[in-house]
Amino acid sequence: MTALQERARKVVLSTVSSDSHTWNLVFLQLLLEEHGFEVVNLGPCVPDEVLLDAVREHAPDLVVISTVNGHGHLDGARVVRRLRADPLTCSVPAVIGGKLGIRGAGDRDKVHALIEAGFDAVYTDSADADELPAQLELLAATGTAGRRTPERVA
Amino acid sequence: MSGTPDLQEHVRRAKEAGKLVVQPRMGFAAPEEMALGLRAVARARATTIGTITLDSYTRVGDHVGARRALGAGHPLNGYPIVAHGAHLTEAVAAYAVDDRTPGAEPIPVQVRHGSANPRAIFRTAIMAGLTASEGGPVSYCLPYGRTPLAESVRNWDAAVVELADGAGERGARAHLETFGGCMLGQLCPPSLLIALSVLEGLFFAQRGIPTVSLSYAQQTNPVQDVEALAALRLLAGEVLPSHVDWHVVLYTYMGVFPRTAGGAGRLLDASAELAVRGGAERLIVKTAVEADRIPTVPENIAALERAARVADLATRTVSAVPWAADADCSELLDEARALVAAVADGGDVGKALVRAFAAGVLDVPFCLHRDNLGLTRTRIDDDGRLRWAHTGRLPLPAPARSDGRIGAHRLLSMLRFTADGHDRAALRERTPRALPADRPYRVAVVGSGPRGLAVLERLAARLIADPPDGPVEIHLYDPVEVGCGRIWRTDQPPWFLMNTVAGEVTMFSGPPDGGPARPGAGPSLAQWWQETDPACPGPNGYAPRPLYGRYLRFLLDTVERSLPPRVTLVRRRTEVVDLVPDQGGYLLRAADGESLRADRVVLVTGHPRPSLDSAQQRLADFAADRPELLYIRGDSASDMPLDRVPAGAKVGVLGLGLSFYDVMVALTIGRGGRFEEDGGALRYLPSGAEPVIVAGSRSGVPIPARGRNQKPSRYAYRPRVFTADRVRALRRAGRIDFRAEVLPLLTAEMELVYYATEIRGRFGEDVAERFAAEAAADPASIESLAAHFGVADLPRLDLDALSRPFAGRGFAGREEFTAALLDLIDDDLRHAEQGNVDGPVKAACDVLRDTRGVLRLAVDYAGLTPGSHRGDFLSWFTPLASFLAAGPPLLRLRQTRALIESGVLVVVGPSVTFDADPASGRFTAVSPQVEGARIELDAMIDARIPAPHLDRDLAPLPSRLREAGLWTGYVNTHGDERFETGGVAVTGAPFHPVRRDGRPETGLHVLGIPTEHTRWFTQVGSGRPGSWGEFVRDADAIAAGLMSGLPATDRADRADKAERAGELL
Repeated sequence: MTALQERARKVVLSTVSSDSHTWNLVFLQLLLEEHGFEVVNLGPCVPDEVLLDAVREHAPDLVVISTVNGHGHLDGARVVRRLRADPLTCSVPAVIGGKLGIRGAGDRDKVHALIEAGFDAVYTDSADADELPAQLELLAATGTAGRRTPERVA
Repeated sequence: MSGTPDLQEHVRRAKEAGKLVVQPRMGFAAPEEMALGLRAVARARATTIGTITLDSYTRVGDHVGARRALGAGHPLNGYPIVAHGAHLTEAVAAYAVDDRTPGAEPIPVQVRHGSANPRAIFRTAIMAGLTASEGGPVSYCLPYGRTPLAESVRNWDAAVVELADGAGERGARAHLETFGGCMLGQLCPPSLLIALSVLEGLFFAQRGIPTVSLSYAQQTNPVQDVEALAALRLLAGEVLPSHVDWHVVLYTYMGVFPRTAGGAGRLLDASAELAVRGGAERLIVKTAVEADRIPTVPENIAALERAARVADLATRTVSAVPWAADADCSELLDEARALVAAVADGGDVGKALVRAFAAGVLDVPFCLHRDNLGLTRTRIDDDGRLRWAHTGRLPLPAPARSDGRIGAHRLLSMLRFTADGHDRAALRERTPRALPADRPYRVAVVGSGPRGLAVLERLAARLIADPPDGPVEIHLYDPVEVGCGRIWRTDQPPWFLMNTVAGEVTMFSGPPDGGPARPGAGPSLAQWWQETDPACPGPNGYAPRPLYGRYLRFLLDTVERSLPPRVTLVRRRTEVVDLVPDQGGYLLRAADGESLRADRVVLVTGHPRPSLDSAQQRLADFAADRPELLYIRGDSASDMPLDRVPAGAKVGVLGLGLSFYDVMVALTIGRGGRFEEDGGALRYLPSGAEPVIVAGSRSGVPIPARGRNQKPSRYAYRPRVFTADRVRALRRAGRIDFRAEVLPLLTAEMELVYYATEIRGRFGEDVAERFAAEAAADPASIESLAAHFGVADLPRLDLDALSRPFAGRGFAGREEFTAALLDLIDDDLRHAEQGNVDGPVKAACDVLRDTRGVLRLAVDYAGLTPGSHRGDFLSWFTPLASFLAAGPPLLRLRQTRALIESGVLVVVGPSVTFDADPASGRFTAVSPQVEGARIELDAMIDARIPAPHLDRDLAPLPSRLREAGLWTGYVNTHGDERFETGGVAVTGAPFHPVRRDGRPETGLHVLGIPTEHTRWFTQVGSGRPGSWGEFVRDADAIAAGLMSGLPATDRADRADKAERAGELL
C-alpha cells in the first residue's frame, strides 16, 4: 500500500488545554515522522479553538491527542465533541492516548466515554509504541469509516 | 508586619556553618495543611527553607477558577495564594518556625509558582510579607505554555519591578531565584542552562532585585554537573552587578524519575552529594512519589532529612564526584560565556532575550514553543555527558561529532537515561546477579604505565562509590614490571631523571584529605617522596625515574587495598600477543601461553618500538656487517644496551633532545664519573671508563633548560589572547591553517608574557597588569605597546632565532663553534636561573607548556587541514615547541657545559649528518657549518624518541589488531587532501578504536601514545595536582565506560519498550 501512496499522511498532533507536558509531544512527533507522517505539532496547553482552527487549516488525515496530566478524560471529551460538531472537522479520524485519568488501571471506564464522545481509538498507559504507527496509518487510510469498526482499546 | 526572614542572609549563615540548605517543593490547597507543612519543614533535622507552591489555576491567572474549585471542594495541586488572599497567607507563613526549640528563629518562606505572568501573585505575596519567589521570563514561558515570549518579558518586567519596590517599601530585600537552570527539566546541555540562569539573574538585577539565586538542575553526569556548578558560579561573578547578593541553588533531577524507591533514593542522594561537592548553597529536593501524586508532609520531611544527612557525609566519603575546585569547567564556562556575550550587550537583557530567541542565538533543544527556533538538539554521550548534537544558530562551534538525527527511540532512551541508570543500580543492590557466580565481569588493562594506572585509579574510585554486587576481576598486564611499566621500571639506574618537577606530578585524582590514601584522595609525588625519603629536595626537585616507578607501584598497591569486596586485581607479568572478539567479549592470549576471556579491554600500551626507517636501517645494517661497530636504535635510554659502548670509543649520538641527556648521563655518571662544584660552575672528574661522545642535531644545540620552577603545584595559566574561545571560533569556521590562524595567537600570548614579565620586574605588578590588559585588547600591537611601557630595549622574542640560534652562521673551526655554544649555554643558564615566572624568556616559553590544552582544541580530531597538520604542525612547530618548552632540569645544562670543557662531549655543529663510510669502515659525523675534518666514529646511538606509527609498530598485539581491522590508522582528510597520520583512530571519550568498517569497537578503549596524531601530545606520564586535566578526565571517561558494562540484573533489563513508552504516550 505504501508504494501507491501519493503523499505523506498529515497528522495534527496536540494535547488538551490544561496539559503543559511536552516530552510526549516531542516523542510522538519523531515517531510519526519516522513512519512517514507529516506532523503539525501544536505544542502544550492547546485551547480547543486552536486545535479546531488547525484542523480546519491543515485538513489532516488524522488528529492525535496525547495527554498525561490526568485531565484527558474531561478535556479530551470536550474538544472531540466540538470537533465532531463542526462540519469542517467532523469527519477527521481522531485518537487520544496517555494518562487519561488519575487512577491508572482504574480509568478503563473512561475509554468508553471517550469513544462515545467521538474518538476513533483510545490508547491507555500500556500502549505499545512500536505498534502505534501502523495502527494510525490504518486509521488515516480508512478515514471516518474506521470509527465504526470495532473499538480499538489498547 | 515583619514578614519572613531574609532568604539570602539565611543561606549565607548556613554556608558559614558548613550546612547545605535544603528545601521542598511543597504546596497544599488547604491553609491549615499548608501551615502545618511549613511548621514540619521548620522542625526538620536539617537547615531548611519553607516553600509555598501554588496550584495550576493560580499559575495561569485563573483566580476565579481557583475560588470556584475551593468552594466546590475540588482538589487543587497547590496553594491558591491569590484566592486565599494576603491576610490568610501571612497567618499561614507564620507557622514556619520550629516551635519545639525554645528561641528558634522562623525560617524564610519562598513562593514557587510557574507563572508566565506573576504580577498578582507577587502583589499578594508582598502584602503577606513574603518577598522571596522564583521563575523567570524565559523559563516560565517557553517550556510550558503559549504566551509569546515578548509578552512574558513584559509581564515579568512589571512584576519584578513591583516585587523589588514592594519589598523595599516594607524594609525587606526581595529575592528571586531563576528557573533558567532547569528549563524543560532534562536534555538541555549544561552550558545553555548556565547561560539562561545567569541571564535571568541579570534580568532580575537590572530591575532592582537585590538578592538573587541562580539555579541549575541535576543532569546526567555528576562530573559534568560539578563542572557546570563551578562554571555557573564563575560566570555569575563576571556578569552580575557587584551590589547584588547571590547564591547557587541546585535542583534534584527534574526529568523522568526512577520508578523504584531505591533508584529514586539514590538519585536524591546523588543530588545532595553534587550540591556539596559542586559548591551549591541550597538544594531543592524531590520525593520518590512526585511523578505520581502530590507528596505528603512526612514524605517531604523524609526527603529533606535524607538529603541533609547525605550532604553532611559528602564532605567525608570516597566519591566518584570531584570537588568544584578540582573540576575543569573551562569548556562549559567558555560555551556559557559565549552564549551570554551574544545576548547581553550591556543594555536591557529583557529585550535582548526576545531578540536572541528570534535569531536563534538562544535555542532550547526540543522546546516546542513557537518563539523557540528549535534548530538545536542534545545527545547523551557514551560517558553520560549531555552534549550538543546540533547547535543550530547558537554562537557555538558545531559539534565535533555529528551523529545524525535523534530518533524517537533514541529520545526515549535519553529521557530515561538517568531514571534507568538509578533503577538498575538500585536493583543490582538488592537482587542477585543474573550471571552464574563463576562468571565475573572481567576488565583487562593492557599496559601498566601511568595511563593504565590512571584508568585503574578512576575505576576503583567509581567501584568504591558504587560497589558491584557480582564479582569483578581486573587483569593488569605488563611484560616488564606490573605497576609502573617499562619506562618507569624500578630497577633502572637512579641517574635517569623525570622531566617534570615532583610537585607537578600526581597519580591520585584528588588531594590527600587526612584519611588514608585511596583512589580519589592521595599524595602527589612530591608529598609521597617527602614522606618516604629525608633526602627529598622538595616539590621543585626532579625525581629519579625509578623513584617515580616506586610511587606508581605505591598507587597500585593503594588501589588494590581499597577495592570493595568482590572486586579483585590480578597482576599478570606477561605480554598480550593476541586479542580476538569472542562471544560479546574478547579472548586475550598472552606470551606465556595463558588465555583470558575479558568483557572489556583497555589498550594502554605506551611507547612503541617501531621498525626502523630507511636511513636508520642503513646505519644498523652497516654495523651488523662489522663486528667492530655498534649501532643502538632509538628507545628509552634505560633500555639501550649502552654497556656495549667501549671505554675510549668515539660514539656518535644523533639528537640533542631529552633522550640525549639520558644517554650522556649514562655514559658519564653511569661509568663512574663525577661532577664537582667549582667556582659557580661544575667540573667533570672522569673515571676513565667513558667513551668520547660526539653529538649533533639539526640545530646543533642541546635542548635548553626548563626555567627554575617558580609556579605553585596547583598553578593554572589563564591565556589572554590564545584562548579556548578563539580556537573554538576558528574550528567553527572550518579547517584551520596552523601557521596563518593559530600561530599568531600563540606568539602574541608568548610576547604578552615576555614583556609583561620584564615590565613586572622593572615597574611592579600593577604596571605589568595594565600592560597585559591593554596587550590582550590589541594583540597585534604588543611590541609597540611594550616600547610605550618602557621596555623597548628588550630584544624581540624571535621563536625561530631561539630554536635555531646558529642558522645561517659559519664557524672557522671546532674551537670557534664550541666557544659560541658555551656562550649560548651560559646565556640559557642565566635565563633558566631567573625562573619560569620572573625570567622573561623562560616565562614566555612556558606558555607553550601551559597552553597545550588550548592547542589540542585546534589540532585534535583533524582540526587542521591535512597539509598544515603535517607541514606546519608536525614537521615545524612540534620540534620547535619541544626545543623551547620541554627542556631538562637546569642541572643537565651545567653538566653538559662541564663535559664539553673536559673533552668528553663534542658537539659537532648544526645540520649534522651522521653517515656510514664503507671506505674507512666507520661511521662519520660532519657539520657543513663548521670547518674542519669530519669525525670518524666507532659507534652510533640514535637518541631520538621513536615517533609512534601504527603501520610500523611491529609488536604482536598492534599487528594483530591492525590485521583484524580493530585498529585503523587515523587519516586527516579534507577535500582532495589526505594525511595518513599513523595514529590509531579513536572516537571521542571514552575512546573506542574505530574499526575498518568505520564503526567504533565499543568493548575496547585506547588511550595514550598509540593514539598520538589523532590527538596531540599524548606522551603525558602523570596527572597534575589541582583541577582535573585531560589526563584524569580521559581516564575517568574510560572508567565510566567500564562501569557501564557491569552486568545489569534481569529485572532491570526487563523494562521493555512498551512499558517505557507508556509513560509518555
